[in-house]
Parts: sequence; C-alpha cells; structure tokens
Amino acid sequence: MLNTIACFKWVMDEADIKSDPKTRQLIYERVGYKISDYDRNAIEEAVRLQEEHGGSVVAVTVAPSGARQCLKDALSRGPGKACFINDPTFTGLEPGQTASILAAAISKMEYDLIICGEGSSDLYAQQVGPALAEKLGIPCATYVNKLTYVAEENKIVAERKLDDGIEAVSIQLPALVTVLPEINTPRIPSLKQVLGAAKKPVEDIGLDSLAGTFSPCLKTTGVLAAVMERRRLRYGTGEEDIRKVVEALLREGVIA
Amino acid sequence: MNFQLTEEQQLVRASVREFCEKYVDPIAQKVDQEAYFPMETVKRLAEQEWTGIPYPVEYGGAGSDYLTYIIVLEELSRACATTGFTLECHTSLASFPIFKYGTEEQKKKWLVPLCKGEILGSFALTEPGAGTDAASGQSTAVLDGDEYVLNGTKMFISNAPVAGVLVIFASTDRSKGARGISAFIVPADAPGLQIGKHLNKMGIRGSLTAEVIMKDCRIPKENLLGKEGEGFKIAMSTLDGGRIGIAAQALGIAQAALDESVAYSKERVQFGKPISSFQAIQWMLANMATDVEAARFLTYYAAWCYDQGRPYSKEAAMARLFASECAARHTNRAIQIHGGIGYIKGHKVEQLYRDAKITEIYEGTNEVMRMVISGSLLR
Repeated sequence: MLNTIACFKWVMDEADIKSDPKTRQLIYERVGYKISDYDRNAIEEAVRLQEEHGGSVVAVTVAPSGARQCLKDALSRGPGKACFINDPTFTGLEPGQTASILAAAISKMEYDLIICGEGSSDLYAQQVGPALAEKLGIPCATYVNKLTYVAEENKIVAERKLDDGIEAVSIQLPALVTVLPEINTPRIPSLKQVLGAAKKPVEDIGLDSLAGTFSPCLKTTGVLAAVMERRRLRYGTGEEDIRKVVEALLREGVIA
Repeated sequence: MNFQLTEEQQLVRASVREFCEKYVDPIAQKVDQEAYFPMETVKRLAEQEWTGIPYPVEYGGAGSDYLTYIIVLEELSRACATTGFTLECHTSLASFPIFKYGTEEQKKKWLVPLCKGEILGSFALTEPGAGTDAASGQSTAVLDGDEYVLNGTKMFISNAPVAGVLVIFASTDRSKGARGISAFIVPADAPGLQIGKHLNKMGIRGSLTAEVIMKDCRIPKENLLGKEGEGFKIAMSTLDGGRIGIAAQALGIAQAALDESVAYSKERVQFGKPISSFQAIQWMLANMATDVEAARFLTYYAAWCYDQGRPYSKEAAMARLFASECAARHTNRAIQIHGGIGYIKGHKVEQLYRDAKITEIYEGTNEVMRMVISGSLLR
C-alpha cells in the first residue's frame, strides 16, 4: 500500500499566448489553461504505482480560486481525491511561495511519497519539488525517469537521468521525487473517467487554514516576447565561406 | 443564454486533440493516399469510450450527451475526415436506429457490442436506383417461417466491409411504396450476404464503401427492427440525427482548412512580406473564420436541441447545409491561399478539398436539406 500525493500546476497553454509584434507585449486574453506537461507524468506515475501496489493517490495543487476547472482535469486522470489549496491572491506565485504553501498544507496530510513534475511548462524553475522536500524534512530525488517501489523495505528505487549517466538511488519513505517526461506516457482520459471526475471528493484548503506567511521575494518589472529575426544570409561551403559564417555569428553575439 | 461548454465537454475536446496528435495526425496522410482503413484507430476510439457516446451506460454507452459526441466528431474530422466519418456512421446510422426502435433483446444483443466498439456498424439504405428517392428501393424481404429472406443490392454502403452488423432496409410489401419498407438488423455473417466491390472514392478515401448484395440472405424474424412498414420512418429519423454528425464532420474539415491557411499565410513570404500582410489574404481568412464560427453555432445548436428533447430536424438540416457548403467553399479558398503547393497531391489542403465535397452529398444531399428546411417553413 502506497499513499501518494501528486502535485500539479495549472498553467496557461503556451500555444494560446500571442504577442504584439510592435510592443512585444504578451497577449493573454484568449488563453486556455492546462495541467503543466510534466505534472501529467507525475499524476500518471502515481496512478501507475497505485494500480501496481494499491493505496491511494491525491492530486494537490496551489491555484487561484477561479481555477477550479483544473480539478476535474486532474481527477479524470485517475487520482481518487484532489486537494485544492486556493486563494484569490494565489496568482503569479514564485516557486518559493508555492513550495511553502504546499508544505503548510501537506504537513497535515498522511503520505508515503510525493511526486512532482521536474519543472513547470511556464517557468520551468525546477524548484518547487526540492524546496517542498526541504521544508517537509524528507529526502528528494530529482531527474527521475524510472521509479520502483519496494514494499517490504518501505523504500523506493529511483533512476536519475544525469548528464553523465544514470544514477540509481534507494530512498526510505516518506520521500519526494521529481519526474522527467520519459518516465511514462500519460494516458488520455476515457470518456467515463472525464464524466466520473465530478463525483470524486475535493478538499478545499483556504489561506486562512494555513500556518505561515507566503510573501514573494522577487519583483517582476516586465515580460516581453523574444524576437527571432531572420537575416536571410546565404553562405557556401568553402573555407572562406565558413570563416564568414563565424565572423557573422561573432558580430551578432551568437558566439563569443 | 449560455455559450459556455461544460467543463466535461471542454475536457473531452482537449482529450480528443491529444488523441489526434498522438494517433490520428501521424497516419492521416496514409489513410488518404493509400485508401487505408485505420482499424487501429477504431480500436483506440473504443478504449477511449467514444464508440457509444450518447447512449446509456446499461447498453454499453458512455451515457453522455449528443453535443459531446458532436465535439468528438468535429475534432476527429479536423485531423482526419475518414476517422470522423467512420465513427459517425457507426454511432449515428447503425447504433441510433437500434437504440431508438430496437427491443430490449435487440439492444442487449447488438447495441451493447456496438457501443463498446467490439463491432462496427453500418447502414444500408441507398440502392443503385434509389438515392435521394430512397423509397423507390427494389430490395425485398419475405417472411419464410421463422426467417426473413432478403434479396437485392445496396450501393455506397459505408463501413460495410468492416461492419459486424448492418441495419438494412428492404420492402416487405412493394404495393405500399414507402410504407412497405421495413428495417432489419443483419449480422455481417448472415448466410447470403455478400460485400461487393470496394469503391474508389475522391475523398474520405480511407473510409471503406462497398456494395452490399443480398442473395436469399436469411435472418431470424426477431431481427426485424420496429414493425413491418416502419422502415422508411426509421431511416428518415436516423438520417435527421446523422445530419448533425455530418455537419460536425464538415465543421472539422473547414476548421482544419482555416488552421492550415492561417499558418501558411504567416510563413509564406512574397514581395518581401508574409502573404498574411496582404488584404486579399486577410479578407479570405476573415470570411473563412466567420463562416466556420457560424457553422459551429448552428451545429452545436442542433445538438443542443437534440439533448433538450426538442424537435431538431430543421436545425440539423440547417447545420448540415451551412457547414457542408462552408467546408466545400473554404477548402477551395485554402488551396487558393496556398497557391501551387496546395494543388499538389498529398498536401493537407488538397486532401481537405476532396474530403469536403461528400459532406454536401451523403446522408441526404443539400437539395434534400433545403427541402426539409423549406418544408418546415411552409407547413
């Protein structure tokens, strides 16, 4: 029996974000939302482990109160319950704030394992998972692309995909892992799963029930779209041409 | 008034898009170019519980609504019109008459495996000499002891080569014309039933269409659907709902044409600028987008009427008429925007142009749609 918490973030669908070509301001007015890509892997892995070993899966998110729609999306993917940690002020949270809020809520829950996505589709700061583990005082493994639960020893074996190879680590539970997309292929919810999501329990957790303060430490002064300019230059393959390519790249500051 | 889809409908749309990206888009060109029937996709549709969307759970369906079904058809057709139509034919044409007119035993025996996607369904009304004039069919059914014996030839029958069961129409009393037509549930392995030549179509090329030949085809008498003489009514009411499905298919095709056109016009540079900066292109895109949106609202409205238990015959005909003409007109425009490259075999807009045409023809031509609409105005 393995009781798992899968954390997820409700993010803007980047495909819907437009930008004003003149001002480079981002336009969000017709943007849709989705579960952050790697968090789908986190939910899928939690559900897969539950199918194999029994236990429970609770999907947990920190979101503004208006983002309630995320719950059915998460629940349609298999968790038996969702925790909606919400407040109207929970918008544009920094990773540190999210980790603190999650820690304040999760510290009151019973769990063996917490699974987070390696990073979110919007910020990809890769901080919430490790910071949450730190605040809860539990061990953490990042970059996990394979996860095995060893029930008799109450531990997990996680394979971490690192630059120079695969590292297998064995961790006593309770623990937290952050997972890479290679760990699994999230299943597409069936129609009955979608229709059944509304019948699953949701625990609402408001700001007033959380101990602690969650202030930001960064100030965003502006967000502008990146610009890709095409120079439309053409070079041959001779030695002199290659030298010209390198000179052009140096001049543009692409290489130094 | 509420233009907002339910959360469930929005989630289903997102699921179908994900499904299409994963399983439908990668083979859509093969389906068209090689006239390849995507059986693997059909199996996956069943796994997603999309093969009996609007039918009750006790009959193997998902117990969802018609609008959800329409959204699934729209999104599937946006990626591959063959796939969308295969599901439409199965759900609207084969399963519907059994759901609406079948006995409890017939539903348990046939609707359950249809809804679960264990078998595909087909609908055989058209004959070589009886298209729009469906009542003039020559096929006959004669009761012989405990069996009906069917004879005749059906034409342009979609899904027939892959169907496990067909709803076939034949006359039990030629002297009564339309009122002598009856509907029958015919298993694909019934003795005397043959699937004839596969037809080489202009569009929806992966969808399998064939002749169905009945030579002393024997079926148990309990396979009569409804009562003797009710067949024409059953066929017409089935086609009423089917039209919403074809409207959704046309809508998906038109949306795909718009998507392709917007993307290409931003990439294609002429006179030193993307062609999207020229007013001629902008106006074409504006007209396309406006028509696609109008088609969507008509189609969703017809589905909503169905879900509300309101009359929907006129609304379905309007949706089908407008959406199919929108698809035919704007797939043509999409090729114009693409220029030469859009005329090349295998290009997405070339395929869309060929796929769109049939939506003006099958399950009642657009001339029939106008008859239905004007008939309801002038009654």
